[in-house]
Amino acid sequence: MNKIKENGWHILLLLICLVLLLPVIFMISNSFKTLRESYHSMLQIIPLHPTLSNYSTLGRQVNLLRLIWNTFFMATIVTLGKLVTGLLAAYAFKYFSFTGKRWLYFIFVSTIFVPFTVIMIPNYLVISKINLLNTALGVALPQLCDATGIMLFLKAMDKIPKSLIESVHIDGIPSYKILKDIVVPILRPSIISIGAIFFINSWNEYVWPTLILKDKSSFTLPLALENYISSEGGTNFPLAMALSTIMIIVPLLIYLIFQRYILNSISSSGLK
Amino acid sequence: MKNSSSWIKRVVGAITLLMVAVLFAGCSSAKGAAKKVVHISYWHVNAQTQGGASVDELVKNFNKTHKYIKVTAKYNPNMYQGLMQNLQSAQASGKVPDIAQVGWAYTNYFASNFKYLTPTDAQNKFDSSKTFISKNFSKRTLSFAKDSKGNLVGLPYSLSTPILYYNKTMLDKYGISASSLSTWEGVSTAAKKIKEASGEYGLYIQEPGDTWAQQAMLLSNGAQIKKNGKATFASAAGVKAYQFYQDMVVKDKTALHTPWAQGIDDFVNGKVAIAYTTVAQASHIKKSANFNVEAITSPHFKGSTATVPVGGSMLAITAQKTEKQKAAWTFEKYMYKNSSLVTWTKGTGYLPPTQGALSSQAFKSYLNENPMLKPATSQIKTAVPWTSFPKNGLQAEQTMIDARDKILSGSSVQDTLKSAQEKINEQQ
Amino acid sequence: MSSNSKKNRFLTIAYLSPTAIILLVFMIIPIIYTLYLSFFDWNLIAPTKDFVGLKNYTSIFTDPVNRKVLLNTVFYILLLLVLNFLIPYFISIIVKFFISKMQTSYKIIFFIPSLFSLVVGAMLFSWIMNPVSGPVAFFVRYLGVALPNWTNSGAMAIVMLCLITNWKVFGYNFVLLLTGLGSVPQNIIDATKMDNIPKWRMVWDIVLPLNKSIAFYVLILTIVQGLQYVFTPISVITQGGPYYGSSNILYHTYLNAFVLYKTGNASALAVITFLIFLVLLYLEIRFVEGRTDRYE
Repeated sequence: MNKIKENGWHILLLLICLVLLLPVIFMISNSFKTLRESYHSMLQIIPLHPTLSNYSTLGRQVNLLRLIWNTFFMATIVTLGKLVTGLLAAYAFKYFSFTGKRWLYFIFVSTIFVPFTVIMIPNYLVISKINLLNTALGVALPQLCDATGIMLFLKAMDKIPKSLIESVHIDGIPSYKILKDIVVPILRPSIISIGAIFFINSWNEYVWPTLILKDKSSFTLPLALENYISSEGGTNFPLAMALSTIMIIVPLLIYLIFQRYILNSISSSGLK
Repeated sequence: MKNSSSWIKRVVGAITLLMVAVLFAGCSSAKGAAKKVVHISYWHVNAQTQGGASVDELVKNFNKTHKYIKVTAKYNPNMYQGLMQNLQSAQASGKVPDIAQVGWAYTNYFASNFKYLTPTDAQNKFDSSKTFISKNFSKRTLSFAKDSKGNLVGLPYSLSTPILYYNKTMLDKYGISASSLSTWEGVSTAAKKIKEASGEYGLYIQEPGDTWAQQAMLLSNGAQIKKNGKATFASAAGVKAYQFYQDMVVKDKTALHTPWAQGIDDFVNGKVAIAYTTVAQASHIKKSANFNVEAITSPHFKGSTATVPVGGSMLAITAQKTEKQKAAWTFEKYMYKNSSLVTWTKGTGYLPPTQGALSSQAFKSYLNENPMLKPATSQIKTAVPWTSFPKNGLQAEQTMIDARDKILSGSSVQDTLKSAQEKINEQQ
Repeated sequence: MSSNSKKNRFLTIAYLSPTAIILLVFMIIPIIYTLYLSFFDWNLIAPTKDFVGLKNYTSIFTDPVNRKVLLNTVFYILLLLVLNFLIPYFISIIVKFFISKMQTSYKIIFFIPSLFSLVVGAMLFSWIMNPVSGPVAFFVRYLGVALPNWTNSGAMAIVMLCLITNWKVFGYNFVLLLTGLGSVPQNIIDATKMDNIPKWRMVWDIVLPLNKSIAFYVLILTIVQGLQYVFTPISVITQGGPYYGSSNILYHTYLNAFVLYKTGNASALAVITFLIFLVLLYLEIRFVEGRTDRYE
């Protein structure tokens, strides 16, 4: 009886897997089709005449390695920035006492709730005034900290016994050493998983970099993708799918490498 | 110790190098002051799927042949609306491009909100013979690029008109002749026949973020969109044309109502027999369809003549410094050379704006290879400027889009058009 | 001691200042600027701004289009709650308590879509779900069913747009909730087994109350993040149409700001959005973060 029930659940769960993966399969499958075939043999998951022409067109029209490097570089700066500022701030909130802490924390966390439409234009003006248009730093600077990071690290620090930190503190060990030698090693799984999520989000970022990066040599992958979407001239769907497939490689690798951390500690770090 | 001494050496070396470099830079700048390279940026809307590669090619050749000007091209996603957004933010930060494509719908908005150099002024300022504009452009073509006060804002660059594409294989199958599609009444009859025989849709009219194609329909029933600066599309002729369109979509269900990208996909997939959309789609449709596809000129209503508003854009000089303006003007003139325009046309599917390019051998042989462009070319001779309202033009366009959406979901045509017209006129 | 506290104060400032400076320059000042702009009629580049007082705010509640958009936003929130919160929660309970193998495989697979950009997701879905000529339409036609033309109906378009964000965040929320369930002490679960209490009773009476704070965190996240996530598919697929039927407050802000250049209206909408989000934040702090004990 229970066995049958359990099998029923497995069927449901497998169906969900199928629905979630189907778009991914369509993406990869279409990237090996010609434009005409993408229209006229839609249900053909394995292309009748598989072609690499979309990939070779991309190779001719854009500098793929450059694009991947630009995206990687930008995402790395953003991720490192968020991790470092987040750890420092969380440490201060957790282990230092100062006046106005509650308010400061409230203000910090409330920035998570700011819709991006509110801050887009003023930020664009600031970045252009300090001459950072067209640079990865210009994209990264406003994002070098993220209150989500502070919140998540703060929660992760609950795992470290307070008495431990206090006892080493009394021993006169400077706090940056405590942070480096005690807190960071203990939080390693959280740091990896939070960092991976930050990296993937930044990798896919679209609206803000469009404003800042104007020069082709500074483009990131999502911006290059934009180059193949046109309402008036028609979108070349298989070509866009080929670029999307290239775009997913790095996030997928990161996911596969750190999968254990990501899946087990997104929330065990994030939430008690 | 050893480490530190090599470190010092390196620093000293670097400083020396730096000083030498500064010295040289000083010399060369003093010597070559007259021949400094001028950098200008060109903003366009051409994705890789629509002429982006041609833009790159043109710019590359220009840079090769012009030693002292360097042009950088920047693609702006989301067509003219996207470019205008970027221009807006650029203007607010004081870092505008030097030359930009401005869509016709934005002519008045651009003219009243941005600083620019008119082509007439550029010609007077930089040319010895002042005939470039009059020699290359017809009066009608120039009228496309004028603001509501009648001043030339930029030079017409990309021209397009809506044409009627049809799935010849499908029409042949149901015994419909293409010649019957010269009137909207004929299109409607054909659409009915197709719906009954095959269950597929007969017609799709493009529905992007503007009402260009719908305006063409109204104009071809003798209606006027604007008269003496006031909106007049809710006239009897305007209502009749929209009612006709609504009946096809809502009552007969012979016409498809869906966003643009889907509509074109449906046509290419053989789910819609006839598509009314811009000539710029020609190459995409040709590359994607697996049936015979042909195109004819815009239909008209019985008793009226076909009139289409022109689509596309002009080139406007937004550079502020004289040397940059001069470079931008030089670049513009290069872009209007016959050979450049033909490259441009081939990449984008737009029509060339100058007399010379239109009658050039290269363009003619291109037309013969791509017969779908022919109807668009013949229409351009009678095309009218795209209606652009002098005040709050962008809101006016949005109001017309809203009216279209409401009508196609079944609201009363008369009431919807009337209230849209009143709303626009309140703001004029 | 006093030198110690002085040193502590220095460290506090040193640790907090990177975050504080960046948030001040790129978040807080822009918000104040937006608040300021919401009292003016301006097009972002004209040299003069006209002061209009509260007109931009009153128009939000009187203009029928704005009202429609606000109503849509409520619909979006409800739908996102069901799709991105309730369903993942239900599935995570199934995976945690009702099956005995393959839990890790499901986790790994469910998470994959969250690696994708929403632009790619939107392109894929609008292609797959094209009601006239997409693969799904072809497929259901074999079964003799016609797909409704969802692009023509605001409500159906909203459902479709929410499904796209659901594709992206389902796995992420699922993993969050599942790990939360993992923190329910095993001995309590074992005890209920001994007492022969039905599993659903155990979930309802014990697990759900214990898991309340995590669930609430995901719930808030669903609303705040979901409304922002859905922006990309809206702009790629429907542009808020038909007749604002699929627009929400964030997309409408964008439309006012960057398509119509009504900066004042857009700013007022942005301020309203922010206020709504602040209420949610307050709830979040009340229920999830607990009381003051965090700082002591």
